Amino acid sequence: MNHPHMILSSGGLETLQSRFALRVAGRLSQSADELPHDITERLKAAREQALERSRLARRAEASAGVQVTGNGSSASLALGGGARSERWLKLASLVPLLALVAGFLLIDHLRVKSQIRAAADIDTALLADDLPLAAYSDPGFVEFLKAPRDR
Amino acid sequence: MASEKELSDFLKSVEKRAFKRALYAVRDDDAALDIVQDAMIRLAEKYGDRPPAELPLVFQRILSNATMDWFRRRKVRSGVVRNFSDFEAPGDDGSFDILETLEALNGSPAFESAADSVSRGQILEIIESQVEQLPARQREAFLLRYWEEFDVAETAAAMGCSEGSVKTHCSRAVHALAKALKAKGIEP
Repeated sequence: MNHPHMILSSGGLETLQSRFALRVAGRLSQSADELPHDITERLKAAREQALERSRLARRAEASAGVQVTGNGSSASLALGGGARSERWLKLASLVPLLALVAGFLLIDHLRVKSQIRAAADIDTALLADDLPLAAYSDPGFVEFLKAPRDR
Repeated sequence: MASEKELSDFLKSVEKRAFKRALYAVRDDDAALDIVQDAMIRLAEKYGDRPPAELPLVFQRILSNATMDWFRRRKVRSGVVRNFSDFEAPGDDGSFDILETLEALNGSPAFESAADSVSRGQILEIIESQVEQLPARQREAFLLRYWEEFDVAETAAAMGCSEGSVKTHCSRAVHALAKALKAKGIEP
């Protein structure tokens, strides 16, 4: 079969395809260059709006990275710092939680201590007080005295 | 990092083609303008600090995503199926000879009389209409590769697919366009 196109290599086909595609693309460019005035104006407005947003973004980025330095070399407040400052902010957010836990522990400790102190006061008062005579005739007290010490 | 002027010049250089690309996909002027504006703002806000050389690739990717987002928002299922499927055009009977057509369209005077009989504006309209009718991925590959003049690797990066897929999409797009234009007697 002597088809004239069979002699074309795949490279030749690609060249033909590219040439055709570029001609179509050229036509599309002509069409794009001849857009109506209102469309080009709206595109221009869109571009300006995008550039304005870019300006704002750059300004915000610049202000976030600014370093506010106090008077004298000792006082300085540095804002920004990217990931490092974020880590510090996360750590700082844990401080109230830690303070709350420490507060609970302190309250618990003080409560236990006050209970011990109250019990000690009662024991001291009982031990230091004179034993009433009626106690010796009380059967319960006698039993208490007879009972082993380790009870 | 691109300066404001570089960013402005870049946007100016791509805005018309970007509008056309979006228009081929959504077929509505206002929607295409919204998509281009959205893409420009996303580029300026989030990627304005990129080197100027990276802007074309990033912008094309953003534009494609913005177009996809538009379709998602619209939720017009039939439109999505029509525009985002990769099925071949109907009537592909296999008897079409791409070589014959390309050779003819690339130099044969056989179509000149037909082309001459149609005004230039009408020819453009027909070509654009055929580009619009390409399946979305084929159209995207074709426009990026030959209109934006990306190489195969850049086109693949912008489309998020392999280089082999880009070649296949481009080849099919050229095949379909050549066949359609030949049928209408149009020489691009």
